[in-house]
Amino acid sequence: MGKKTNFSMMKLILCFFMLLTLAGCLSAREINDLEIVIGMGVDKDEKPGSILLTAQVVKEDTAGRAPGNGSGGDSKAFWNVSSRGNSIFDAVRQITHKTGNRLFISHNQAVVFGNDIAAEGLQEYIDFFLRAHEMRPTALILVAEDRASDVLNAKPETEKFPAFNIAKLVKTYVFTSYFYKVNMKDFASCLMSPTTAQLAPLVSSIPDEGNKDIYVSGMVAFKKGKMVGKLNHDEVRGLLWVLGKVKSGVIIVSSPNGQGKAVLEIIRAKSKVTPEIKDGKIVMHIKIKEESSLSEQTTTENLATDKAFEKIQEASAEVIRQEVMASFDKSKELNADIFGFGEMLHKKYNNEWKTLKNYWDEIYPTIELNIDVETKIIKTDLLKKPASSSEEEK
Amino acid sequence: MIFLLLIYAFILIINVPGLIKRKEWRDLTAFSILYVIAFALGLMYVLDIPIPSPMKGLQHLIVDILGIEYPQG
Amino acid sequence: MSIEKGKISSQQLLFLIAGFVLGSVLLIDFTVGITEQQTWMVILAALAITAPVILSYVVLAKRFAGMNLVQMNDMVYGRFLGKVVSTYYIFFFLMTLSFNIRDVGELYITFLMPDKPFIFLLVVFTAICAYAVTKGIEVLARVSHLFVVTGMFVIISTFILLIDQMDFSNFLPFFELPFIRIFQGIHIVSTIPFGETVAFLMIMGCLNKTEHAVKNTFFGLFIGVVSLLIVAVRNTAVLGRTQTIWTSTSFQTIRLIDIGTVLTRMDFLVGIAQTILIFFKCSLLFYVLVVALSQLFGLKSYLPLVLPLAGIEVIIAATVFQSPVDHAGITQNAGIIYSIPLIFVIPPLSLLIAKIRGLPKSERGKGT
Repeated sequence: MGKKTNFSMMKLILCFFMLLTLAGCLSAREINDLEIVIGMGVDKDEKPGSILLTAQVVKEDTAGRAPGNGSGGDSKAFWNVSSRGNSIFDAVRQITHKTGNRLFISHNQAVVFGNDIAAEGLQEYIDFFLRAHEMRPTALILVAEDRASDVLNAKPETEKFPAFNIAKLVKTYVFTSYFYKVNMKDFASCLMSPTTAQLAPLVSSIPDEGNKDIYVSGMVAFKKGKMVGKLNHDEVRGLLWVLGKVKSGVIIVSSPNGQGKAVLEIIRAKSKVTPEIKDGKIVMHIKIKEESSLSEQTTTENLATDKAFEKIQEASAEVIRQEVMASFDKSKELNADIFGFGEMLHKKYNNEWKTLKNYWDEIYPTIELNIDVETKIIKTDLLKKPASSSEEEK
Repeated sequence: MIFLLLIYAFILIINVPGLIKRKEWRDLTAFSILYVIAFALGLMYVLDIPIPSPMKGLQHLIVDILGIEYPQG
Repeated sequence: MSIEKGKISSQQLLFLIAGFVLGSVLLIDFTVGITEQQTWMVILAALAITAPVILSYVVLAKRFAGMNLVQMNDMVYGRFLGKVVSTYYIFFFLMTLSFNIRDVGELYITFLMPDKPFIFLLVVFTAICAYAVTKGIEVLARVSHLFVVTGMFVIISTFILLIDQMDFSNFLPFFELPFIRIFQGIHIVSTIPFGETVAFLMIMGCLNKTEHAVKNTFFGLFIGVVSLLIVAVRNTAVLGRTQTIWTSTSFQTIRLIDIGTVLTRMDFLVGIAQTILIFFKCSLLFYVLVVALSQLFGLKSYLPLVLPLAGIEVIIAATVFQSPVDHAGITQNAGIIYSIPLIFVIPPLSLLIAKIRGLPKSERGKGT
């Protein structure tokens, strides 16, 4: 009996001992020791082969204070620390010379690549961001119009940190569908495809009262990691119509009586793309269905009639068709398969694909599009009739 | 190093007295053989003596000698 | 005659098998590099191929009720050859256990705790497995319910959370890859999650009633297969083309969960679930190893062998491969080839011989 309790006592002591020691403090990093990185930028440095890495790091003591508490002057809650290195990982470790701690990149919201790096080719620089175990594949990837470090420096108005601001900006694509967000995994997926061209949002800055404001001005297309051209808003939206990624946005058409505009808000859009190989030619059948609401009109005539609707629907279908064609023409000009038509062919016509993919650069410009757009106006928001005194309405 | 000795002493203490008391000689022999092997391996590991890996040997046997292999890639 | 005094019920067998197969959920990463988007087909094909083999295991266990593998081998192949066969099996269990322990270590080292020394993780993990084994099969059987439910919960919930990121066109084109790769994939999947259930030949001897053994075994297997399929489908649908480049597809998939900025960074969930499941699988394998070895030596109880074997296992796990690259490379080749006889040939052969010679007779003997 005594032996039994003795043994149980020993086990208890052992458990207690284990509790204290096994709590896994071996490689614990306290918050003070972390340099929390929320954004990173990569630029080319003056020396060939060397890159400039900018990391936006949170400063803990000022981060807690409410924004707008500017009595103490211009205290930024972050600092952009940069270092040079011969590879990204090299530069990351070199930053520790300036910060005193290792960077903690788990919270990285976005990685911005400078214009020069994008032109040279991203393939060399993307490996670190995919392989590093702290990086998340949900981090966004962006291209700066000029230098990435400038983008990271731009002071935002409503957000404390530029990096969060940038991430927020990119996520607003749902409101206009003029660009869309690309995360690391999507980019990697496109890189792995032999034919698809990769895309990333382009961030430009405009000077605004001495401060630089940044905004997303369009998207950039890459081929095999090298930047080949820019797509403006309409062209990007054309692309998004085809991919079915349009979430919302604005379409402006002139009103049927020619005296003003009818403005439609896109509510939802779907698309279905069917590739077809006919007589040795590749035809893509694109069927787009869109629903919108009449959100604004500038004429006095009441557009909420069936007849007017029909005309407006047709006009908006035409706008969509033009956007798609603009996008396609641009992609042909850049010879970049931004739609992923190659992969669609791959999925459907596997056997032909094996030979086609080697000549994709020659074949792509010969693709024909067969666009079929169906639009519907399903509501008119809160007005049945415009606020105007019109004598025709009897 | 110290860990190794501590752990193996611990193992010894837990198992041996019971076995001797119950006169389970056969169990004790089996235990001792395995114990010595484990201890030797542990010692080799701690002293950085390379331990041959059985799988490497198997791989060599199957791939090089018998020539059975799946194509790489 | 048997060493283990405990008994398990048929239903516990179901959960034991389900938990065992679930423990291999991350191991399909071995095949994803080879079979890419056709992994789900490979899993189904492997099930079709191994189902009859597993059936032979259960029938064998029913026939030799109450006996475990080593005893069966002795009866079927005679004293000397039986011991040789048993040694072959023991080698297999030893190696497989070390692979699995190493797997856990690699998981932690790559994703969760990259700075910790490898051997430390192995020692701690193996120590806990050893402790579980000393408690006996009954305890393991009792906790199997809990582990299986936990594992399934994680698998199903991660699947649901990722539905909006899934793109089912990633499964096209079907039948793209050359058949030899599919064949290798089928081989891997039928060996690693399914074929390792040959270890259960040691455990089925503890069933208290063997009537529903077949039904329960297959039901447990079914649960395991469904989980593997859900994981494979989830990974392929979400990652698409990129699934072949990540070291661990399941981890990367989970990292993409990003719902309402609240449900992010869920990879710890996979870490927990996987650790629990592999722990369960390792404990079972360890148990099987220890009992087999002690049966071979004719010992009275398997307890004394637990700790030295744990020590041997740790060192083997630490040294058998140099890196995950090595591990994957060898497993995809030699690892599955040397176990072919054990999984596919010997048990059905034993069954055949037993049928022919009318074993087991109530009086032990080689055809008296």
